[in-house]
Amino acid sequence: MSSIVEMKNVNKAFGPVEVLKDFSLKLAEGEKVVIIGPSGSGKSTVLRCINQLETIQGGQIFFEGQAIDAKSDLCALRTHIGMVFQRFNLFPHKTALENIIEALLIVKKKSRPEAEKIAAALLDRVGLVDKRDSYPRELSGGQQQRVAIARALAMSPKIMLFDEPTSALDPELVGEVLGVMKDLVKEGMTMVVVTHEMAFAKEVADRVIFMDQGIIMEEGTPAQIFESPSHERTRLFLKRIKH
Amino acid sequence: MSLDYSVVLTKIPILLEGCWVTLQISFFALLLGMVFGIAGALCRISSNRILNSIAFFYVWVIRGTPVMVQLFILYFGLPQLGIKLPSMVAGVLGLAVNTGAYVTEIIRAGVQAVDKGQMEAALSVGMNYRQAMVRIIGPQATKICIPPLVNQFIMTLKNSSIASLVTITELFRTGEQIIYTTFRSFEVYTAVAVLYLIMNSVFMVIADRLERKMARQ
Repeated sequence: MSSIVEMKNVNKAFGPVEVLKDFSLKLAEGEKVVIIGPSGSGKSTVLRCINQLETIQGGQIFFEGQAIDAKSDLCALRTHIGMVFQRFNLFPHKTALENIIEALLIVKKKSRPEAEKIAAALLDRVGLVDKRDSYPRELSGGQQQRVAIARALAMSPKIMLFDEPTSALDPELVGEVLGVMKDLVKEGMTMVVVTHEMAFAKEVADRVIFMDQGIIMEEGTPAQIFESPSHERTRLFLKRIKH
Repeated sequence: MSLDYSVVLTKIPILLEGCWVTLQISFFALLLGMVFGIAGALCRISSNRILNSIAFFYVWVIRGTPVMVQLFILYFGLPQLGIKLPSMVAGVLGLAVNTGAYVTEIIRAGVQAVDKGQMEAALSVGMNYRQAMVRIIGPQATKICIPPLVNQFIMTLKNSSIASLVTITELFRTGEQIIYTTFRSFEVYTAVAVLYLIMNSVFMVIADRLERKMARQ
């Protein structure tokens, strides 16, 4: 399998705080990677570096073998990389449908009927056909996150990044969002998921990465990481989140 | 001493003429002030250091000096440098420059009050900075800006009374001229106050409707 995203010796600091230290990661096409780790370990920063919401101070990031540099067309790149945020970040002044068609119209330059057709199909896919004209504030957290996933999928991305997609949700709403994500897994989407949902990680991940203090402490199959972690810190972390 | 408002009643046509001038000054000052303010805010938000510094300096100087002094520099000061502005131009320009500085700050604050996740979400679906600003950040910032902008517009309408000092015969100066001939200062000044209040009230009602309409969206 060819790599879709590769991070090579990436360094990222916020002021004096080093968030990623010489960080390397290779993602194969179709691979499902779950990143776990304590807060401040740099998990979210990995995702934000991949789609260039953060500029890195050192190292290189490749997308489909092409190095991303100052000359890269970031807008085009980002259409290939779907991003789902912890706080949903839906556009509050737009309905569910409008949230999805916005980029189809102005980035992909689709006609309105064409964009609406795509959006309607996506809303159907995330089970929200009847909410097409609802504003985000009229939707539950789980519904908002599903619209956000549909919005990202509208650009037909080659990879989806999920930044703690269920962390801001009430417990009873987590399942509906994970359900949509599992559908994507079945469809073969390449996915990187930062999450604390260990059951989800066990079920869908090809690879689980445990990060701490800006480095990969340990990685392996879900069985390796969850049942026989080799690192003391991984063990401690897993013990803490079980309670 | 008894009050006699009949004097005021006979002067109503002249007072209304003053109101008309006040409205004209305010209208053009607000229009131009918005242009200055939007330009100023764009400079303040921009990552270009020179533009940013210019806008910062503009806001700093204007907010830190009295509007009366600003008007006097334009009307009485500039002629010494050979620039003679008609009083109407000096009045409108002075009020506009003053309003623009406050509008700059209002818009800058409004844009920065929009959750930064909105820009990230817009960028993440492939929009460029300009598209994200126009389509996503702008509409949300506008909503946030309306109440403070209404406040500023009311301030500008009231500040237009200072234009009387650069010889523009707007409402306040009209009132003063009536007092010169009638000596009814209490009646005339209160009548002038009521007229300002009416103009601002009409404006407040319109603004309130607009605000409610936007809130519903």
